[in-house]
Amino acid sequence: MLGSAELSFNVDHGYLEGLVRGCKAGLLTQQDYLNLVQCETLEDLKVHLQTTDYGNFLADQTNPLTVSKIDMEMRKKLCGEFEYFRNHSLEPLSTFFTYMTCGYMIDNVVLLLSGALQKKSVRDLLGRCHPLGRFSEMEAVNIAETPSDLFHAVLVETPLAPFFQDCMSENTLDELNIEVLRNKLYKSYLEAFHNFCKDHGDVTAEVMCPILEFEADRRAFIITLNSFGTELSRDAREALYPTCGRLGPEGLRLLAQAEDFEQMKRVADHYEVYKPLLEAVGDGSAGKSLEDVFYEQEVKMNVLAFSRQFHCGVFYAYTKLREQEMRNVVWIAECISQRHRTKINSYIPIL
Amino acid sequence: MSGKDRIEIFPSRMAQTIMKARLKGAQTGRNLLKKKSDALTLRFRQILKKIIETKMLMGEVMREAAFSLAEAKFTAGDFSTTVIQNVNKAQVKIRAKKDNVAGVTLPIFEHYHEGTDSYELTGLARGGEQLAKLKRNYAKAVELLVELASLQTSFVTLDEAIKITNRRVNAIEHELDEREREEFYRLKKIQEKKKILKEKTERELEKRKIAGEVTEPANLLAEEKDEDLLFE
Repeated sequence: MLGSAELSFNVDHGYLEGLVRGCKAGLLTQQDYLNLVQCETLEDLKVHLQTTDYGNFLADQTNPLTVSKIDMEMRKKLCGEFEYFRNHSLEPLSTFFTYMTCGYMIDNVVLLLSGALQKKSVRDLLGRCHPLGRFSEMEAVNIAETPSDLFHAVLVETPLAPFFQDCMSENTLDELNIEVLRNKLYKSYLEAFHNFCKDHGDVTAEVMCPILEFEADRRAFIITLNSFGTELSRDAREALYPTCGRLGPEGLRLLAQAEDFEQMKRVADHYEVYKPLLEAVGDGSAGKSLEDVFYEQEVKMNVLAFSRQFHCGVFYAYTKLREQEMRNVVWIAECISQRHRTKINSYIPIL
Repeated sequence: MSGKDRIEIFPSRMAQTIMKARLKGAQTGRNLLKKKSDALTLRFRQILKKIIETKMLMGEVMREAAFSLAEAKFTAGDFSTTVIQNVNKAQVKIRAKKDNVAGVTLPIFEHYHEGTDSYELTGLARGGEQLAKLKRNYAKAVELLVELASLQTSFVTLDEAIKITNRRVNAIEHELDEREREEFYRLKKIQEKKKILKEKTERELEKRKIAGEVTEPANLLAEEKDEDLLFE
Protein backbone atom coordinates (compact mmCIF):
# COMPACT_ATOMS: atom_id res chain seq x y z
CA MET A 1 0.00 0.00 0.00
CA LEU A 2 1.48 3.29 -0.97
CA GLY A 3 2.21 5.65 1.81
CA SER A 4 2.08 2.98 4.47
CA ALA A 5 5.78 3.27 4.97
CA GLU A 6 5.58 6.92 6.02
CA LEU A 7 2.78 6.08 8.38
CA SER A 8 4.08 3.03 10.13
CA PHE A 9 7.81 2.92 9.81
CA ASN A 10 8.71 5.46 12.42
CA VAL A 11 6.60 3.78 15.05
CA ASP A 12 8.92 0.86 15.32
CA HIS A 13 12.11 1.95 13.67
CA GLY A 14 12.20 5.71 13.74
CA TYR A 15 14.66 6.00 16.59
CA LEU A 16 17.11 3.63 14.95
CA GLU A 17 16.82 5.31 11.59
CA GLY A 18 17.63 8.62 13.21
CA LEU A 19 20.57 7.05 14.95
CA VAL A 20 21.98 5.50 11.83
CA ARG A 21 21.65 8.75 9.93
CA GLY A 22 23.61 10.43 12.68
CA CYS A 23 26.30 7.80 12.40
CA LYS A 24 26.37 8.20 8.67
CA ALA A 25 27.10 11.86 9.13
CA GLY A 26 30.24 10.82 10.93
CA LEU A 27 31.75 9.00 7.98
CA LEU A 28 35.10 10.33 6.84
CA THR A 29 34.80 13.04 4.23
CA GLN A 30 37.05 13.85 1.32
CA GLN A 31 38.79 16.47 3.43
CA ASP A 32 39.53 13.87 6.10
CA TYR A 33 40.99 11.55 3.50
CA LEU A 34 43.17 14.33 2.15
CA ASN A 35 44.51 14.91 5.66
CA LEU A 36 45.16 11.23 6.21
CA VAL A 37 46.98 10.85 2.94
CA GLN A 38 49.45 13.52 3.96
CA CYS A 39 50.47 11.80 7.19
CA GLU A 40 54.02 10.65 7.47
CA THR A 41 53.68 8.07 10.22
CA LEU A 42 50.96 6.01 11.82
CA GLU A 43 51.09 8.26 14.87
CA ASP A 44 50.07 11.22 12.69
CA LEU A 45 47.23 9.09 11.34
CA LYS A 46 46.07 8.42 14.87
CA VAL A 47 46.11 12.12 15.70
CA HIS A 48 44.06 12.94 12.61
CA LEU A 49 41.55 10.24 13.36
CA GLN A 50 41.04 11.71 16.81
CA THR A 51 39.41 14.77 15.27
CA THR A 52 36.85 12.63 13.44
CA ASP A 53 34.00 10.55 14.70
CA TYR A 54 36.50 7.88 15.67
CA GLY A 55 37.73 9.92 18.57
CA ASN A 56 40.10 8.25 20.93
CA PHE A 57 39.50 4.73 19.78
CA LEU A 58 43.19 4.09 19.64
CA ALA A 59 43.87 5.59 23.04
CA ASP A 60 44.30 2.26 24.77
CA GLN A 61 46.74 0.90 22.30
CA THR A 62 50.34 0.62 23.41
CA ASN A 63 53.27 1.36 21.18
CA PRO A 64 54.18 0.51 18.56
CA LEU A 65 51.08 1.23 16.55
CA THR A 66 50.54 -1.27 13.74
CA VAL A 67 48.09 -1.43 10.90
CA SER A 68 46.48 -4.57 12.25
CA LYS A 69 45.74 -2.82 15.56
CA ILE A 70 44.03 0.01 13.73
CA ASP A 71 42.02 -2.50 11.74
CA MET A 72 40.98 -4.39 14.85
CA GLU A 73 39.86 -1.29 16.71
CA MET A 74 37.82 -0.01 13.77
CA ARG A 75 36.12 -3.35 13.41
CA LYS A 76 35.31 -3.39 17.12
CA LYS A 77 33.70 0.01 16.82
CA LEU A 78 31.59 -1.05 13.84
CA CYS A 79 30.49 -4.23 15.58
CA GLY A 80 29.54 -2.28 18.67
CA GLU A 81 27.31 0.01 16.62
CA PHE A 82 25.81 -2.88 14.68
CA GLU A 83 25.01 -4.84 17.82
CA TYR A 84 23.38 -1.80 19.32
CA PHE A 85 21.12 -1.37 16.30
CA ARG A 86 20.31 -5.03 16.24
CA ASN A 87 19.48 -5.31 19.90
CA HIS A 88 17.08 -2.41 19.74
CA SER A 89 15.31 -3.52 16.60
CA LEU A 90 11.85 -4.96 16.17
CA GLU A 91 10.38 -7.06 13.40
CA PRO A 92 10.76 -6.93 10.48
CA LEU A 93 13.95 -4.98 10.96
CA SER A 94 15.45 -7.69 13.16
CA THR A 95 14.96 -10.29 10.44
CA PHE A 96 16.61 -7.87 8.07
CA PHE A 97 19.56 -7.65 10.42
CA THR A 98 19.72 -11.42 10.64
CA TYR A 99 19.86 -11.58 6.88
CA MET A 100 22.69 -9.10 6.91
CA THR A 101 24.71 -11.20 9.29
CA CYS A 102 24.18 -14.36 7.24
CA GLY A 103 26.86 -13.31 4.85
CA TYR A 104 29.47 -13.22 7.61
CA MET A 105 28.09 -16.36 9.15
CA ILE A 106 28.69 -18.21 5.91
CA ASP A 107 32.35 -17.24 6.04
CA ASN A 108 32.64 -18.32 9.66
CA VAL A 109 30.92 -21.65 9.08
CA VAL A 110 33.10 -22.42 6.10
CA LEU A 111 36.14 -21.61 8.18
CA LEU A 112 35.04 -23.90 11.02
CA LEU A 113 34.10 -26.69 8.64
CA SER A 114 37.42 -26.58 6.87
CA GLY A 115 39.16 -26.59 10.24
CA ALA A 116 37.19 -29.64 11.34
CA LEU A 117 37.98 -31.38 8.07
CA GLN A 118 41.65 -30.80 8.61
CA LYS A 119 41.33 -32.13 12.15
CA LYS A 120 42.52 -28.88 13.56
CA SER A 121 41.39 -27.49 16.89
CA VAL A 122 38.17 -25.60 16.41
CA ARG A 123 38.79 -23.51 19.48
CA ASP A 124 41.58 -21.48 17.89
CA LEU A 125 39.45 -20.73 14.90
CA LEU A 126 36.76 -19.15 17.01
CA GLY A 127 39.03 -16.24 17.68
CA ARG A 128 39.44 -15.68 13.97
CA CYS A 129 35.79 -15.68 13.06
CA HIS A 130 34.20 -12.47 11.90
CA PRO A 131 32.45 -10.93 14.90
CA LEU A 132 29.39 -9.85 12.90
CA GLY A 133 28.81 -13.46 11.95
CA ARG A 134 28.62 -14.89 15.41
CA PHE A 135 25.85 -17.27 16.14
CA SER A 136 24.77 -18.23 19.59
CA GLU A 137 26.10 -21.76 19.73
CA MET A 138 29.47 -21.06 18.27
CA GLU A 139 31.28 -22.02 21.44
CA ALA A 140 29.40 -25.28 21.50
CA VAL A 141 30.95 -26.03 18.17
CA ASN A 142 34.08 -27.13 20.05
CA ILE A 143 32.36 -30.26 21.11
CA ALA A 144 31.70 -31.28 17.55
CA GLU A 145 34.46 -33.72 16.84
CA THR A 146 33.66 -34.78 13.33
CA PRO A 147 32.57 -32.70 10.38
CA SER A 148 29.11 -34.25 10.45
CA ASP A 149 28.54 -33.21 14.06
CA LEU A 150 29.63 -29.73 13.14
CA PHE A 151 27.29 -29.80 10.20
CA HIS A 152 24.34 -30.73 12.39
CA ALA A 153 25.22 -28.05 14.92
CA VAL A 154 25.36 -25.49 12.15
CA LEU A 155 22.06 -26.59 10.66
CA VAL A 156 20.31 -26.39 13.98
CA GLU A 157 21.79 -23.22 15.35
CA THR A 158 22.04 -20.92 12.41
CA PRO A 159 19.60 -19.61 9.87
CA LEU A 160 21.85 -21.04 7.20
CA ALA A 161 20.00 -24.34 6.96
CA PRO A 162 17.97 -23.54 3.86
CA PHE A 163 21.08 -22.42 2.02
CA PHE A 164 22.74 -25.73 2.66
CA GLN A 165 19.80 -27.64 1.28
CA ASP A 166 20.23 -26.13 -2.10
CA CYS A 167 23.81 -27.06 -2.58
CA MET A 168 24.74 -30.29 -0.99
CA SER A 169 24.23 -33.06 1.42
CA GLU A 170 26.39 -34.12 4.27
CA ASN A 171 28.15 -36.78 2.26
CA THR A 172 29.61 -34.46 -0.26
CA LEU A 173 31.20 -32.36 2.46
CA ASP A 174 34.61 -33.84 1.99
CA GLU A 175 34.96 -33.77 -1.73
CA LEU A 176 33.56 -30.36 -2.33
CA ASN A 177 36.15 -27.69 -2.62
CA ILE A 178 35.74 -25.19 0.17
CA GLU A 179 35.66 -22.17 -2.11
CA VAL A 180 32.98 -23.68 -4.33
CA LEU A 181 30.93 -24.45 -1.22
CA ARG A 182 31.33 -20.91 0.06
CA ASN A 183 30.18 -19.43 -3.23
CA LYS A 184 27.23 -21.77 -3.52
CA LEU A 185 26.06 -20.87 -0.04
CA TYR A 186 26.44 -17.20 -0.81
CA LYS A 187 24.38 -17.57 -3.98
CA SER A 188 21.47 -19.17 -2.06
CA TYR A 189 21.79 -16.51 0.60
CA LEU A 190 21.64 -13.62 -1.87
CA GLU A 191 18.58 -15.06 -3.57
CA ALA A 192 16.82 -15.57 -0.25
CA PHE A 193 17.68 -12.04 0.88
CA HIS A 194 16.40 -10.64 -2.39
CA ASN A 195 13.11 -12.50 -2.00
CA PHE A 196 12.71 -11.24 1.53
CA CYS A 197 13.18 -7.65 0.46
CA LYS A 198 10.80 -8.06 -2.46
CA ASP A 199 8.12 -9.56 -0.22
CA HIS A 200 8.54 -6.80 2.28
CA GLY A 201 7.55 -4.36 -0.41
CA ASP A 202 7.47 -0.63 0.03
CA VAL A 203 10.48 1.61 -0.05
CA THR A 204 12.70 -1.14 1.28
CA ALA A 205 12.11 -3.19 -1.82
CA GLU A 206 12.64 -0.17 -4.03
CA VAL A 207 15.97 0.57 -2.44
CA MET A 208 17.35 -2.85 -1.54
CA CYS A 209 16.40 -4.85 -4.61
CA PRO A 210 18.56 -2.85 -7.04
CA ILE A 211 21.46 -3.01 -4.59
CA LEU A 212 21.13 -6.78 -4.26
CA GLU A 213 20.69 -7.24 -7.97
CA PHE A 214 23.87 -5.32 -8.55
CA GLU A 215 25.65 -7.49 -5.96
CA ALA A 216 24.44 -10.64 -7.75
CA ASP A 217 25.62 -9.46 -11.16
CA ARG A 218 28.87 -8.24 -9.75
CA ARG A 219 29.56 -11.67 -8.30
CA ALA A 220 28.76 -13.25 -11.64
CA PHE A 221 31.23 -11.00 -13.44
CA ILE A 222 34.00 -11.41 -10.88
CA ILE A 223 33.63 -15.18 -10.64
CA THR A 224 33.82 -15.36 -14.43
CA LEU A 225 36.90 -13.17 -14.53
CA ASN A 226 38.69 -15.09 -11.80
CA SER A 227 37.87 -18.49 -13.22
CA PHE A 228 39.69 -17.91 -16.49
CA GLY A 229 42.61 -20.27 -16.51
CA THR A 230 41.53 -22.37 -13.55
CA GLU A 231 40.06 -25.83 -13.39
CA LEU A 232 36.56 -24.54 -12.78
CA SER A 233 34.41 -25.87 -15.61
CA ARG A 234 31.75 -23.80 -17.30
CA ASP A 235 28.88 -25.69 -15.71
CA ALA A 236 30.41 -25.46 -12.28
CA ARG A 237 30.89 -21.75 -12.86
CA GLU A 238 27.30 -21.27 -13.95
CA ALA A 239 26.08 -23.02 -10.83
CA LEU A 240 27.73 -20.31 -8.74
CA TYR A 241 26.00 -17.34 -10.40
CA PRO A 242 23.22 -15.86 -8.28
CA THR A 243 20.13 -15.63 -10.44
CA CYS A 244 18.41 -12.68 -8.82
CA GLY A 245 20.34 -10.09 -10.77
CA ARG A 246 19.55 -8.10 -13.88
CA LEU A 247 21.60 -10.44 -16.02
CA GLY A 248 18.79 -12.94 -15.74
CA PRO A 249 19.03 -16.41 -17.24
CA GLU A 250 20.10 -15.16 -20.66
CA GLY A 251 22.97 -13.03 -19.57
CA LEU A 252 24.22 -15.63 -17.14
CA ARG A 253 24.26 -18.29 -19.81
CA LEU A 254 26.23 -16.03 -22.11
CA LEU A 255 28.59 -15.20 -19.30
CA ALA A 256 29.20 -18.87 -18.59
CA GLN A 257 30.37 -19.29 -22.18
CA ALA A 258 32.84 -16.44 -22.00
CA GLU A 259 36.49 -17.40 -22.14
CA ASP A 260 38.23 -14.08 -21.82
CA PHE A 261 37.73 -10.49 -20.84
CA GLU A 262 36.65 -9.29 -24.28
CA GLN A 263 33.82 -11.81 -24.48
CA MET A 264 32.73 -10.77 -21.02
CA LYS A 265 32.66 -7.15 -22.14
CA ARG A 266 30.46 -8.04 -25.08
CA VAL A 267 27.97 -9.68 -22.75
CA ALA A 268 27.93 -6.54 -20.62
CA ASP A 269 27.30 -4.39 -23.70
CA HIS A 270 23.75 -5.72 -23.82
CA TYR A 271 22.97 -4.14 -20.48
CA GLU A 272 23.23 -0.42 -20.46
CA VAL A 273 23.92 -0.33 -16.73
CA TYR A 274 27.03 -2.45 -16.97
CA LYS A 275 28.35 -1.27 -20.30
CA PRO A 276 30.03 1.89 -18.98
CA LEU A 277 31.38 0.02 -15.99
CA LEU A 278 33.26 -2.55 -17.97
CA GLU A 279 34.52 0.09 -20.33
CA ALA A 280 36.00 2.06 -17.47
CA VAL A 281 38.37 -0.78 -16.71
CA GLY A 282 41.90 0.25 -17.51
CA ASP A 283 44.75 -1.93 -18.73
CA GLY A 284 47.21 -3.60 -16.46
CA SER A 285 48.20 -2.05 -13.19
CA ALA A 286 47.98 1.57 -14.27
CA GLY A 287 44.23 1.76 -14.71
CA LYS A 288 41.41 0.67 -12.50
CA SER A 289 40.68 -2.97 -12.16
CA LEU A 290 37.20 -4.41 -12.56
CA GLU A 291 36.93 -4.80 -8.81
CA ASP A 292 37.70 -1.13 -8.22
CA VAL A 293 35.04 -0.10 -10.71
CA PHE A 294 32.48 -2.31 -9.02
CA TYR A 295 33.43 -1.02 -5.58
CA GLU A 296 32.85 2.55 -6.75
CA GLN A 297 29.46 1.64 -8.15
CA GLU A 298 28.49 -0.09 -4.92
CA VAL A 299 29.48 2.95 -2.88
CA LYS A 300 27.43 5.20 -5.15
CA MET A 301 24.35 3.05 -4.72
CA ASN A 302 24.80 2.86 -0.99
CA VAL A 303 25.08 6.62 -0.64
CA LEU A 304 21.92 7.04 -2.74
CA ALA A 305 20.05 4.80 -0.32
CA PHE A 306 20.20 7.59 2.22
CA SER A 307 18.28 9.93 -0.02
CA ARG A 308 15.07 8.06 0.76
CA GLN A 309 13.43 7.69 4.10
CA PHE A 310 11.46 5.01 5.93
CA HIS A 311 13.23 1.92 4.78
CA CYS A 312 15.57 -0.71 6.21
CA GLY A 313 18.11 -0.23 3.49
CA VAL A 314 19.83 2.57 5.37
CA PHE A 315 21.24 0.07 7.83
CA TYR A 316 22.62 -2.12 5.10
CA ALA A 317 24.05 0.88 3.28
CA TYR A 318 25.61 2.27 6.44
CA THR A 319 27.33 -1.02 7.31
CA LYS A 320 28.70 -1.40 3.81
CA LEU A 321 29.92 2.18 3.71
CA ARG A 322 31.62 1.78 7.06
CA GLU A 323 33.36 -1.34 5.85
CA GLN A 324 34.59 0.46 2.77
CA GLU A 325 35.85 3.26 4.97
CA MET A 326 37.71 0.73 7.09
CA ARG A 327 39.31 -0.71 3.99
CA ASN A 328 40.30 2.77 2.85
CA VAL A 329 41.89 3.72 6.15
CA VAL A 330 43.77 0.43 6.38
CA TRP A 331 45.01 0.91 2.82
CA ILE A 332 46.29 4.40 3.58
CA ALA A 333 47.86 3.15 6.80
CA GLU A 334 49.64 0.33 4.95
CA CYS A 335 50.96 2.71 2.32
CA ILE A 336 52.29 4.98 5.04
CA SER A 337 53.87 2.25 7.10
CA GLN A 338 55.48 0.58 4.09
CA ARG A 339 56.58 3.91 2.66
CA HIS A 340 55.10 3.00 -0.69
CA ARG A 341 53.15 6.12 -1.48
CA THR A 342 52.72 5.77 -5.22
CA LYS A 343 49.28 4.24 -4.96
CA ILE A 344 48.12 5.89 -1.78
CA ASN A 345 45.30 7.67 -3.59
CA SER A 346 43.75 4.45 -4.82
CA TYR A 347 41.20 4.36 -2.04
CA ILE A 348 37.53 4.55 -2.95
CA PRO A 349 36.16 8.00 -2.08
CA ILE A 350 32.82 7.86 -0.38
CA LEU A 351 31.41 11.29 0.24
CA MET B 1 111.74 -21.68 18.36
CA SER B 2 109.30 -24.43 17.66
CA GLY B 3 109.59 -26.29 20.88
CA LYS B 4 107.12 -29.01 19.92
CA ASP B 5 108.34 -31.37 17.32
CA ARG B 6 112.07 -31.16 17.34
CA ILE B 7 113.64 -33.92 15.40
CA GLU B 8 116.66 -35.31 17.15
CA ILE B 9 119.37 -35.49 14.54
CA PHE B 10 122.97 -36.02 15.04
CA PRO B 11 124.50 -32.72 13.95
CA SER B 12 126.61 -33.73 11.05
CA ARG B 13 127.11 -32.53 7.51
CA MET B 14 125.07 -35.37 6.02
CA ALA B 15 122.20 -34.58 8.27
CA GLN B 16 122.32 -31.10 6.86
CA THR B 17 122.03 -32.35 3.27
CA ILE B 18 119.14 -34.56 4.16
CA MET B 19 117.45 -31.61 5.78
CA LYS B 20 117.96 -29.57 2.65
CA ALA B 21 116.16 -32.17 0.52
CA ARG B 22 113.27 -32.34 2.89
CA LEU B 23 113.07 -28.60 2.85
CA LYS B 24 112.75 -28.59 -0.93
CA GLY B 25 109.92 -31.11 -0.83
CA ALA B 26 108.09 -29.18 1.78
CA GLN B 27 108.45 -25.99 -0.19
CA THR B 28 106.76 -27.53 -3.25
CA GLY B 29 103.98 -28.75 -1.05
CA ARG B 30 103.60 -25.34 0.39
CA ASN B 31 103.33 -23.75 -3.04
CA LEU B 32 100.57 -26.12 -4.03
CA LEU B 33 98.69 -25.28 -0.89
CA LYS B 34 99.11 -21.60 -1.64
CA LYS B 35 97.60 -22.12 -5.08
CA LYS B 36 94.63 -23.89 -3.56
CA SER B 37 94.19 -21.03 -1.14
CA ASP B 38 94.25 -18.52 -3.99
CA ALA B 39 91.62 -20.42 -5.97
CA LEU B 40 89.38 -20.61 -2.94
CA THR B 41 89.83 -16.91 -2.22
CA LEU B 42 88.89 -16.04 -5.79
CA ARG B 43 85.68 -18.05 -5.57
CA PHE B 44 85.03 -16.50 -2.19
CA ARG B 45 85.17 -12.98 -3.58
CA GLN B 46 82.84 -13.91 -6.44
CA ILE B 47 80.32 -15.34 -4.03
CA LEU B 48 80.56 -12.27 -1.82
CA LYS B 49 79.74 -9.99 -4.75
CA LYS B 50 76.80 -12.16 -5.71
CA ILE B 51 75.51 -12.16 -2.15
CA ILE B 52 75.52 -8.38 -2.01
CA GLU B 53 73.64 -8.14 -5.32
CA THR B 54 71.10 -10.74 -4.30
CA LYS B 55 70.47 -9.11 -0.94
CA MET B 56 69.77 -5.74 -2.56
CA LEU B 57 67.39 -7.40 -5.02
CA MET B 58 65.80 -9.23 -2.10
CA GLY B 59 65.01 -5.97 -0.37
CA GLU B 60 63.20 -4.70 -3.46
CA VAL B 61 61.29 -7.91 -4.06
CA MET B 62 60.15 -8.21 -0.45
CA ARG B 63 58.94 -4.63 -0.51
CA GLU B 64 56.92 -5.29 -3.68
CA ALA B 65 55.50 -8.46 -2.22
CA ALA B 66 54.46 -6.80 1.05
CA PHE B 67 52.76 -4.03 -0.90
CA SER B 68 50.90 -6.48 -3.12
CA LEU B 69 49.70 -8.15 0.09
CA ALA B 70 48.24 -4.82 1.19
CA GLU B 71 46.59 -4.42 -2.22
CA ALA B 72 45.08 -7.88 -2.07
CA LYS B 73 43.77 -7.28 1.43
CA PHE B 74 42.15 -4.04 0.23
CA THR B 75 40.19 -5.81 -2.47
CA ALA B 76 39.63 -9.26 -1.12
CA GLY B 77 39.18 -8.62 2.56
CA ASP B 78 40.93 -10.74 5.13
CA PHE B 79 41.85 -14.05 3.54
CA SER B 80 44.59 -14.98 5.98
CA THR B 81 42.49 -17.56 7.82
CA THR B 82 41.46 -19.21 4.56
CA VAL B 83 45.07 -19.49 3.50
CA ILE B 84 46.24 -20.90 6.81
CA GLN B 85 43.41 -23.40 6.90
CA ASN B 86 44.13 -24.85 3.51
CA VAL B 87 47.79 -25.52 4.07
CA ASN B 88 48.75 -29.13 3.49
CA LYS B 89 51.78 -30.10 1.46
CA ALA B 90 54.55 -27.84 0.38
CA GLN B 91 54.38 -26.84 -3.23
CA VAL B 92 57.90 -25.50 -3.62
CA LYS B 93 60.59 -27.89 -2.46
CA ILE B 94 64.36 -27.78 -2.34
CA ARG B 95 66.97 -30.28 -3.49
CA ALA B 96 70.54 -30.09 -2.22
CA LYS B 97 73.32 -30.71 -4.74
CA LYS B 98 77.08 -30.66 -4.33
CA ASP B 99 79.55 -28.51 -6.17
CA ASN B 100 83.32 -28.95 -6.03
CA VAL B 101 85.77 -26.06 -5.96
CA ALA B 102 89.47 -26.89 -5.61
CA GLY B 103 88.67 -29.90 -3.57
CA VAL B 104 86.10 -28.25 -1.31
CA THR B 105 82.52 -29.51 -1.60
CA LEU B 106 79.95 -26.74 -1.49
CA PRO B 107 76.20 -27.34 -1.09
CA ILE B 108 73.87 -25.80 -3.68
CA PHE B 109 70.09 -25.60 -3.18
CA GLU B 110 67.79 -25.95 -6.12
CA HIS B 111 64.05 -25.43 -5.93
CA TYR B 112 61.37 -27.35 -7.81
CA HIS B 113 57.60 -27.26 -7.92
CA GLU B 114 55.47 -30.18 -7.01
CA GLY B 115 51.77 -30.64 -6.97
CA THR B 116 48.99 -28.31 -8.02
CA ASP B 117 48.12 -24.93 -6.63
CA SER B 118 45.65 -25.61 -3.84
CA TYR B 119 44.79 -21.93 -3.69
CA GLU B 120 43.60 -21.67 -7.26
CA LEU B 121 40.04 -20.83 -6.34
CA THR B 122 40.75 -18.57 -3.37
CA GLY B 123 39.36 -15.14 -3.98
CA LEU B 124 36.96 -16.42 -6.58
CA ALA B 125 34.29 -13.97 -5.56
CA ARG B 126 36.54 -11.04 -4.93
CA GLY B 127 40.17 -10.14 -5.21
CA GLY B 128 41.22 -12.97 -7.51
CA GLU B 129 43.41 -10.79 -9.71
CA GLN B 130 45.23 -9.24 -6.80
CA LEU B 131 45.70 -12.63 -5.18
CA ALA B 132 47.24 -14.00 -8.35
CA LYS B 133 49.68 -11.09 -8.43
CA LEU B 134 50.43 -11.64 -4.76
CA LYS B 135 51.18 -15.31 -5.34
CA ARG B 136 53.55 -14.45 -8.16
CA ASN B 137 55.42 -11.86 -6.10
CA TYR B 138 55.90 -14.13 -3.15
CA ALA B 139 56.96 -17.02 -5.39
CA LYS B 140 59.68 -14.75 -6.75
CA ALA B 141 60.68 -13.85 -3.21
CA VAL B 142 60.94 -17.53 -2.26
CA GLU B 143 63.14 -18.30 -5.25
CA LEU B 144 65.47 -15.48 -4.34
CA LEU B 145 65.59 -16.67 -0.75
CA VAL B 146 66.61 -20.16 -1.86
CA GLU B 147 69.40 -18.72 -4.00
CA LEU B 148 70.55 -16.56 -1.13
CA ALA B 149 70.60 -19.57 1.18
CA SER B 150 72.85 -21.48 -1.23
CA LEU B 151 75.21 -18.54 -1.54
CA GLN B 152 75.46 -18.02 2.18
CA THR B 153 76.18 -21.65 3.02
CA SER B 154 78.87 -21.70 0.34
CA PHE B 155 80.27 -18.52 1.82
CA VAL B 156 80.56 -19.99 5.29
CA THR B 157 82.04 -23.29 4.08
CA LEU B 158 84.57 -21.54 1.88
CA ASP B 159 85.54 -19.26 4.70
CA GLU B 160 86.35 -22.24 6.91
CA ALA B 161 88.26 -24.00 4.15
CA ILE B 162 90.33 -20.94 3.38
CA LYS B 163 91.21 -20.40 7.01
CA ILE B 164 92.37 -24.00 7.37
CA THR B 165 94.42 -23.92 4.20
CA ASN B 166 96.11 -20.68 5.10
CA ARG B 167 96.88 -21.95 8.55
CA ARG B 168 98.55 -25.00 7.04
CA VAL B 169 100.55 -22.88 4.62
CA ASN B 170 101.79 -20.63 7.36
CA ALA B 171 102.53 -23.51 9.64
CA ILE B 172 104.64 -25.29 7.10
CA GLU B 173 106.59 -22.19 6.26
CA HIS B 174 107.17 -21.53 9.85
CA GLU B 175 108.20 -25.09 10.63
CA LEU B 176 110.63 -25.46 7.79
CA ASP B 177 112.33 -22.18 8.33
CA GLU B 178 112.55 -22.83 11.97
CA ARG B 179 113.94 -26.29 11.59
CA GLU B 180 116.47 -25.20 9.05
CA ARG B 181 117.68 -22.42 11.17
CA GLU B 182 117.68 -24.54 14.25
CA GLU B 183 119.80 -27.23 12.71
CA PHE B 184 122.32 -24.80 11.35
CA TYR B 185 122.40 -23.10 14.65
CA ARG B 186 123.01 -26.32 16.52
CA LEU B 187 125.65 -27.37 14.05
CA LYS B 188 127.47 -24.14 14.39
CA LYS B 189 127.22 -24.07 18.11
CA ILE B 190 128.64 -27.53 18.43
CA GLN B 191 131.47 -26.77 16.10
CA GLU B 192 132.28 -23.72 18.12
CA LYS B 193 132.24 -25.69 21.31
CA LYS B 194 134.60 -28.28 19.91
CA LYS B 195 136.98 -25.60 18.84
CA ILE B 196 136.84 -23.96 22.22
CA LEU B 197 137.43 -27.27 23.93
CA LYS B 198 140.41 -27.99 21.77
CA GLU B 199 141.92 -24.63 22.41
CA LYS B 200 141.37 -25.00 26.07
CA THR B 201 143.11 -28.35 26.28
CA GLU B 202 146.03 -27.09 24.27
CA ARG B 203 146.49 -24.15 26.52
CA GLU B 204 146.44 -26.28 29.56
CA LEU B 205 149.02 -28.53 28.14
CA GLU B 206 151.21 -25.55 27.39
CA LYS B 207 150.71 -24.28 30.86
CA ARG B 208 151.74 -27.51 32.43
CA LYS B 209 154.67 -27.92 30.23
CA ILE B 210 155.87 -24.55 31.23
CA ALA B 211 155.16 -25.30 34.83
CA GLY B 212 157.45 -28.23 34.47
CA GLU B 213 155.20 -30.75 35.82
CA VAL B 214 155.21 -33.95 34.09
CA THR B 215 151.80 -34.02 32.51
CA GLU B 216 152.73 -36.53 30.00
CA PRO B 217 152.45 -40.03 31.16
CA ALA B 218 155.56 -41.77 31.94
CA ASN B 219 157.23 -42.72 28.75
CA LEU B 220 159.33 -45.68 29.39
CA LEU B 221 160.98 -45.38 26.09
CA ALA B 222 161.71 -41.76 26.39
CA GLU B 223 163.03 -41.63 29.86
CA GLU B 224 166.76 -42.09 30.25
CA LYS B 225 167.17 -42.24 33.86
CA ASP B 226 165.10 -43.56 36.61
CA GLU B 227 165.75 -41.89 39.87
CA ASP B 228 164.64 -44.74 41.90
CA LEU B 229 167.32 -46.94 40.56
CA LEU B 230 170.27 -46.66 42.93
CA PHE B 231 172.82 -48.43 40.94
CA GLU B 232 173.37 -47.63 37.40
